[in-house]
Amino acid sequence: MPRTPMQYCQRCVYPHVAVNLSVDEEGICASCRTAEQFERMPQEFWLKRRALFERCIEEAGKSRASDYDCVIPVSGGKDSYYQTHLIVAEYGLKPLLVTYHGNNYLPEGDYNRDRMREVFNVDHLVMGPSVEVLKKLNRLCFRKMGDMNWHAHCGINTYPIQVAVKFAIPLVIWGEIAWDISGMFEPDDFVEFSARVRHEHDLRGFEWRDMLNDPIERLSEKDLSWAKYPSDEAILKAGVRGLFIGNFFKWDPYSHTKLIQERYGWKGAENAFERTYRKISNLDDRYENGVHDLLKFIKFGYGRASDHASKDIRTGYMTREKGIEMVRQYDHVVSQDLFHWLNYVGMSEAEFWTTADCFRDARVWWIQDGQWWKDNIWGKPSAYGPVHLPLDARRKYRQGALKHLARESNRAA
Amino acid sequence: MKKKRLIPVLLLRNGWLVQSKQFRRYQNLGNPISAVERLSEWAADELIYLDITRDNCYDMRRDDLGHPNRHNVLEIIKDVSRAALMPITVGGRIRSLSDIEKRLACGADKVCINTKAIDVPQFIEEASREFGSQCIVVSIDVKSSAGHNHVVTAGGTRPTGLVPQAWAKQIEELGAGEILLNSVDRDGMKTGYDMELLIKMTAQVHIPVIACGGAGEWKHFAEAFTQTNVDAVAAANIFHYSDQSVYLAKRFLFEQGLNVRRPELLEV
Repeated sequence: MPRTPMQYCQRCVYPHVAVNLSVDEEGICASCRTAEQFERMPQEFWLKRRALFERCIEEAGKSRASDYDCVIPVSGGKDSYYQTHLIVAEYGLKPLLVTYHGNNYLPEGDYNRDRMREVFNVDHLVMGPSVEVLKKLNRLCFRKMGDMNWHAHCGINTYPIQVAVKFAIPLVIWGEIAWDISGMFEPDDFVEFSARVRHEHDLRGFEWRDMLNDPIERLSEKDLSWAKYPSDEAILKAGVRGLFIGNFFKWDPYSHTKLIQERYGWKGAENAFERTYRKISNLDDRYENGVHDLLKFIKFGYGRASDHASKDIRTGYMTREKGIEMVRQYDHVVSQDLFHWLNYVGMSEAEFWTTADCFRDARVWWIQDGQWWKDNIWGKPSAYGPVHLPLDARRKYRQGALKHLARESNRAA
Repeated sequence: MKKKRLIPVLLLRNGWLVQSKQFRRYQNLGNPISAVERLSEWAADELIYLDITRDNCYDMRRDDLGHPNRHNVLEIIKDVSRAALMPITVGGRIRSLSDIEKRLACGADKVCINTKAIDVPQFIEEASREFGSQCIVVSIDVKSSAGHNHVVTAGGTRPTGLVPQAWAKQIEELGAGEILLNSVDRDGMKTGYDMELLIKMTAQVHIPVIACGGAGEWKHFAEAFTQTNVDAVAAANIFHYSDQSVYLAKRFLFEQGLNVRRPELLEV
């Protein structure tokens, strides 16, 4: 695959390599286009959507066999609070909160999660897989797909649906329209939760079956029962549909945060993060940005600060110029979370870098003078640390460094 | 009595599955295969798989996923036919008999031709003679301007000067087995099929006409079946918006008493 210079959306800070992104003839990414469409929607559009939401609730209520009106998958983060606020305070419904506990919470996240059943007066089911199983999955998925957090993507997108099916609760209320970061759909598409998007995007095309028979990390089917998605038959029988609140109510993370802080005492991060400027995101998972998104930078050359800045540019909270500054400051940072994680799963830093380097995307990275190089949104390319790959694995990255590589292989020979 | 068919259409563009709006706006949905597996599980009657790639580049731009990142459309067609439990019609970038042969060898049951048929109508005859009419679907993209319908081609970019009805008749005479009739203006607009067009076109030919372009609700399928003589209804985007979509659409039509196959779920 030949490397072409990195290109970026002309409006936000996303590189073209970002997940699923398609970019139109004007150089604007699909995600910005979708956001633009949501922004343009007049008040009357949202009133209609609200009415539609009310009709959905009513419809689901008719066939409901459970005491619960809906399941809300919650982590305890700002979005969880907002979803629950809407369902409980605005609509007076009785939800069952369901949490997948991946054992990665920050203390502030623990606090927020555990207070939900108190401040909202609701029932809350928390499911945490065995910590031993989680450690195995962390290591296995890091080696297999460069993502130690596969278990978390799987858990949150599986267990709540299992619960809905088991208790015949007809609605699962999701928050933000998860697909908007890649602009897959737009407001009028009115997309529901689907097993395909779950499988392909959230779970990266891997299922629990793919985690069996690993020579190092021994896992059995029984260890992963929380990861099994219910069959279409079971879902249709229980009448379960998954709706995204973001399709019905205008999504504004900052005003939502203000509301839940004032009304329910929700807490943001006490200390600033090393890898992003936002203090209101990712409290439920210290590795999501700290390590998972470090891997995103290692793979594709952009990180969580790019995500946050792009979102904030789209909603008008940030200029593109400021966004680029944030990218420059945060995207590449190797934070303390990495060492926390290595300690948690018992892995050496050397193994981490050697494995991580296997996932570098040759469309983004090249090797020069023993360093990893990539293009930057602010202009000139620069180096981002030493290469840990064995010499024979460096071949595909040798663009622009042919002479050097030849010298090196000569030396090796 | 022969059943009416409900046919999902999948669009492949540069290695991605996409949704399309008016042949202009494309949004990447995911890999080329996962959706095929789901449509199989929902017992779709058939599948139309169209490659609308403009250049020759197929790349999902990442290699860390559970499914392979293929760089060649024939490889993708092989994967599709492995995952499909229903007959598949493959279209896009077919320019020669050998292109057809290759696609059939990869597991396609039928092929769908557009631009080549416009450029060289005789190609329809040659292809039908070589592979049989049952194998040759010709698609007609119709656009309207100033109150008149006309045929466009090359992904909706090139006017042809052809009148849809006359072109349909000619396609039938040349030996095609089916017509896939697409309304460019309605593509992705969710406003329902262009009923007038469907009525006019089905009156011209005896071969089956498959309606496409505009389905936004299950009831649009029912309207096409009750108000026109189409043999099948096809749609792309709508089947991506909700889970079990094909099953639910079929159940809706079945419960309306329409002549469709009973809804079912299959194990893949």
